[in-house]
Amino acid sequence: MRRWVGVLATFALLAAACTTGGGDDAPSVIDTGGDASHEPVVLEIWGAWTGRELEQFNKIFDGFTEQYPWITVESKGGVGDPKILAAINSGTAPDVVLSFTLDSVGQFCESGAWQDLNPYIEQSDFDVSQFPPSVEAYTSFADSRCAFPFLTDAYGLYYNTDMFDEAGISEPPTTLTELQEDAKKLTEFNGDGSIKRAGFVPWLGYYEFSIPNLANIFGATWYNDDVTESAVATDPLWKAAFEWQHEFIADVYGDGDFQTGADRLERFVAGAGDEFSTAHDMYTERIAMNLDGEWRTAFIADEEPNLPYSTAPFPLPDDQADEYGRGQIGGTIIGMPKGSPHPAEAWLLLQFMATDTDTLVYMANNVRNVPTTLEALESPDLDVTPQFQTFLDIFEDPNSHYKEPSAIGASDQNIVQAFASRWEVGKQTDLDAGLADAAQQIDDQLAQAAI
Amino acid sequence: MGALPGRGWVPIGAVGQQTQSVASAAAYAGPGQIDRRPIPDDVRRRRFLLSVARHAVLIAVGAMFVAPFIFVVLTALMTDDQAVTPSFWPRPFVWHNFPEVFDRIPLLQYMWNTAQIGILSTVGIVLSCVPVAYALSRMRWRGRQFSFVLVLSTIMLPIQVTIVPLYVLWVRFGQIGHLTPLILPSFLGDAFSIFLLRQFFLTIPDELSDAARVDGASEFQIMTRVIVPLAKPAIAAVALFNFLYNWNDLFAPLLFLGENQKLWTLTIALTEFQQRHGTEWNLTMAASVLFMLPVIILFLLSQKVFVEGVTLTGVKG
Amino acid sequence: MATTVTTAQHVGPFAEAAAVPRRPRRRNIGRGLTVLLFMAPWILGFLGLVLYPMLSSLYFSFTKYSLLEDPIWIGTQNYSFMFTKDPFFWLAFRNTVWIILVGVPLRVMFGIFTAWLLTLPRAGSKTYRTLYFLPTMAPPAAAALAFVLIFNPGFGPINQILQSFGMKNPPLWFYGPNSSKWGLAILGLWGVGDAMIIFLAGLLDVPRHLYEAADIEGATGRQKFRFVTLPMISPVIFFSLVIGVIYGFQLFTQAYVASLAATGSTVNDAASNLGAPQGSLLFYSIYLFQQGFQDFRMGYASALAWILFLITMLCTLVIIRGSRRWVHYQGGGGFR
Repeated sequence: MRRWVGVLATFALLAAACTTGGGDDAPSVIDTGGDASHEPVVLEIWGAWTGRELEQFNKIFDGFTEQYPWITVESKGGVGDPKILAAINSGTAPDVVLSFTLDSVGQFCESGAWQDLNPYIEQSDFDVSQFPPSVEAYTSFADSRCAFPFLTDAYGLYYNTDMFDEAGISEPPTTLTELQEDAKKLTEFNGDGSIKRAGFVPWLGYYEFSIPNLANIFGATWYNDDVTESAVATDPLWKAAFEWQHEFIADVYGDGDFQTGADRLERFVAGAGDEFSTAHDMYTERIAMNLDGEWRTAFIADEEPNLPYSTAPFPLPDDQADEYGRGQIGGTIIGMPKGSPHPAEAWLLLQFMATDTDTLVYMANNVRNVPTTLEALESPDLDVTPQFQTFLDIFEDPNSHYKEPSAIGASDQNIVQAFASRWEVGKQTDLDAGLADAAQQIDDQLAQAAI
Repeated sequence: MGALPGRGWVPIGAVGQQTQSVASAAAYAGPGQIDRRPIPDDVRRRRFLLSVARHAVLIAVGAMFVAPFIFVVLTALMTDDQAVTPSFWPRPFVWHNFPEVFDRIPLLQYMWNTAQIGILSTVGIVLSCVPVAYALSRMRWRGRQFSFVLVLSTIMLPIQVTIVPLYVLWVRFGQIGHLTPLILPSFLGDAFSIFLLRQFFLTIPDELSDAARVDGASEFQIMTRVIVPLAKPAIAAVALFNFLYNWNDLFAPLLFLGENQKLWTLTIALTEFQQRHGTEWNLTMAASVLFMLPVIILFLLSQKVFVEGVTLTGVKG
Repeated sequence: MATTVTTAQHVGPFAEAAAVPRRPRRRNIGRGLTVLLFMAPWILGFLGLVLYPMLSSLYFSFTKYSLLEDPIWIGTQNYSFMFTKDPFFWLAFRNTVWIILVGVPLRVMFGIFTAWLLTLPRAGSKTYRTLYFLPTMAPPAAAALAFVLIFNPGFGPINQILQSFGMKNPPLWFYGPNSSKWGLAILGLWGVGDAMIIFLAGLLDVPRHLYEAADIEGATGRQKFRFVTLPMISPVIFFSLVIGVIYGFQLFTQAYVASLAATGSTVNDAASNLGAPQGSLLFYSIYLFQQGFQDFRMGYASALAWILFLITMLCTLVIIRGSRRWVHYQGGGGFR
C-alpha cells in the first residue's frame, strides 16, 4: 500500500509540474503593403457587449477588413471576465479580448494573462501619446502595459429638468451640501411614510452608486504609493465619505434619524427597476437625480427619448469645490490574451481599434462612450449633444481618475463593500473599527497575492 | 434544495425486505375491502366528513406543490410588461414567447448537447456498473467486503475535493470546452449506481446462478443471461436517475463547458439566459418551461420505475 | 444436542472466503482474473478519478497555483489564511451551517408529514403522490428561477397574498440578506418529494400488528406516532439526516442561480456578485467555485475542498455515533 501511495504521489507531482509556461516573444512585424500576399486569417475577439451595443460594435470590423483584406474578424458578445479567464487558463483563448472590468488590469498584467504590449509597441514604433495621459494609469500595472483603452466611461450627475423646475431649482448642485438641499426638496413621501420619489439615492448597490464612485467623489485614495498597503483606514476622506452617507440619509429620508431613513431607503431600493430595462427608476420618475455613466444618454435616446433631463459633473465635497468638473473615468480595455493564436494579426487589430479615429468616433456616436484618443476627442464628426458634452469635459479634466489598480483585482472593493453593506443599514456603528478591519483584510489579501 | 443536490437518491441503508416496501410504495392504493355489516348513518356521516377533511388537506397541500408550475406557465404566456406585475392571468396570451426563446438561443442545440451527455453517460454507467455490482454481489472473493466499503466511502466524497485536479488534468489534455470530461468518467463506474445495483442483485436467489454454473456457464454468461434480465427494473432505475442527474447538473457542465457556448447544456443556457435577458421574466419562464418539459414527461411516463428505484435498497437497518 | 461441524467454526474476517471449498489452482487464477476484469471499470475509476485527484488536491492545497504558472509551494499558508484572515470563509461556513441546521430538519419533518398525508386516502392516492413528487422532477436551476420570481418582493404572488392578509412589510425574500436563505429553505421544502417517497415506504413498512397492539392498550394517535411510528421509521430519518447534511455542504445550483437572478446582475458583474444579496447566499461550494474557477486561486480552492471533506466526515461520524441511541432497526425486537 505504501508503495502505491508513493507512486501516485509522484505521478501527481509530475502531472502538476507540467505547465504551459513561458511568455510569447513579439513576432516579426508583418508586411502590410498592398501587394504582399497573405494567408487568410480569421481572428476571434470576445467581449462583454450584448444586444444593441453588440450589433453596433460588430460593424467596426468592416473598416478593419477594408484595411487588411486578408483578415476577417469573428466577434463573440456576452462573454464576461470569468469566461475569458477560464479560456486563457485552459489554453483556448481567442485572439483579442475586450473587457469592461478595469479592476482586473492589475491581475491581467501581473500574471501575464493579458500579454505585455510593450514589445509590440517598440517593434512597430507605436506612438502612445495618442492617448490622453489619464488612460495610462488604468491600462498598465507593474511595468507591464497589457491593455489599450477602447473608449471610456465618465460618470456624472443626471437630473430631471421638469422636476427641477417644479421644485424651483434653477441650477444643478455643485457641492454635496447643495445636493442634499436639492434632494430634500425633490423627495416625496407616501402616506405611510415610505418613499414615493427619492431626490437622490446614495445607497451602495443602487445602480451605479458603488464604492469606487463614492471614493472618487471624495477623492479618497485606496493605496499607498507602491500599492503595498491599503489606505482605507489611514486616508481621512474615507471616513468623511461614509459619515456623509449617514448624514444624507438621516436628513433627507429619516426626518433626522438615520435608522428610519435607512429602513425607508432599503425598502425603496428593493423596488428599483432593472438598470438596463425600460423600468429604470429615472424613466418611471421614482428618482429625480442619479449618478450614472455617459452611456446612459444613448439608452435614454433609445428607450425613453422624451425624458426631460440634463447632465452635469457630480457635486463634490464643499471643501473641494474648486475641483468641480472632475469625475470617475475609466472604461473598456482591449488586450491580447496569453496563448493568442495569431499574435501578429491580433496586434494589428488592437492598434486599429485603439487608434482608428473613424472607429472611435462611430462608437462614441452610437454606443455613447467617450473616445480615447486626442484626435478622436477633437473630431468634427463627433456627434455631441449638450448632455453628452458634459462627459467629454469630465474626461478631459486633469483631475479625473479611476481607482488605482492592484494585484487583487476587485477583492478590495468587495471587502469595503461588505463593510459598507452593514454600515448603510445600521448594523455596523463603529466606523473607525469597520474601516480598520477592512484595511487589514485588504492588506492580508495583498500579502497573500504577493507570495 | 429542489431535487437533492447531487445523486441523492440512494439510501445508505443495507439489505432488507426491499421487495415488500417497493411493492407497497409503488402500488399503495388504500386499505383493502372486507365484508362488513351495515354501518349506522351517523358513523357513515362522520366517516364521510373525515374523508372530506382529509381530501381537503391533501388537495390544499397538493395545490401548494403544483401552484409554482402553473405560475411559471402562466407567466411564460404574458408580455414582458405584464410579467412584472401582480396580475396572474395573461392578457393577452402571448404564445409567441415560446418560439421567441428558440430565436434568442439555439435551444435545440442545447437540448441535443444535454441529451448527448445524458444518453452517453447513462450507457457508460450501465456498462461499467453492472459488472462491478455483479462482482460485489454474486461472486465470492477475498477482499470483496473491503472493496464494497471502499465503494460506499466514495459516495461521501464531496465533488469539490477532486474537481480542481480533474480540471487541471482536462486542461492538460486539451479537453476543456469539450464534452469528454462529462462523459468519460461514467465509463469508470459510479458509486451510487454500483451500490443500488448490488443491493438488487443480492435479492436474486443464489440458486439461479448456481444452476447456471453447474451447467458450465461462465460468469460473464451468468451475468448477461441470468442476472441482467432479472434486474431490469433496477437497471432502468439507475439509467433514469443518471439521465436526470446529468440533465439537471450545473456545476460540472459550467466548469468544463462554460466558455464554449456551442456545447452548453440546458442548465447553463437557462442561467445565462436569465442573466442576459433578466428583465424579460416572461421569456425566462418560457425557457424554464421548455427546459422542464422533457423530464417531466419522462417522469410521468416512468413513474413506477422512479418510485421503485428510490426505495430500492431498503431504508431499514 | 448435535455439534454441527461446519467449515466456518471460527468467525474471522475471511470466514466467507474460508467457507468456500478449495478449488484447483488454475481455476482460482481464472476466477481472480474474472473478478479483476469485472471490477476493472471501478478500479480504474477509483485510481484515476478518486485517489489521484485526492492526493493531487492535497498537494495543491499547500501551494499557490493559478494555472498560468507552476504550483509554488507555500506550506500551510493557505490554511492559516483561511482560518485567521479570510472573513469570506467564515461567512460561507456560517451560511452553509445555517441552511443545514434549518433546512434539513424542516425537510425531514415536512417529508414525514406529507408521507403521512399520502397514507390517508383510499381513493386517488396515486394522483396525490404524483402531484407531491412532481416538484422534485423540476430541474433545480429552473425551480430556483421560478421561486425568485414567485417570491419577488414587489409583484410576486407570495407577497401579494401576505399583503392581502394585512402584513405591512412582507420580507424581501431573495432580495434581502436576512430573508434570502429562507427563500432557499422554502424551495427545499417544495422539492421534498424525494425524501417523502422514502418516508412513505418507511411508514408503509411499519408492521400493522404494532399499531393494533397499541390500540388495544388504548394509545392515542399522538402516542402511537411517538412510540410506534417514529422508532420504526428512525432508520429513514437517520438516512435522510446523513444525506441532507452531506449534500447540504455541497449546495450549489440553487444558490448560484438565485443569487445571480435576484441581483439582476449583468454578465460582467457575475464574478463579484456571487452570494448576493450581501453575501447571504455565499455558500461554501460557491465560495470554492469562485476562488478556484473565477479567481483561479486553485491552491486555495484545494485547501477549501479538503476542509469541506473533513467537516463533512466529522458531521457524518457525529450523526452516526449519535444514531445508536435513537435509531431502531427492525428485527431487533422491542420498542426504543
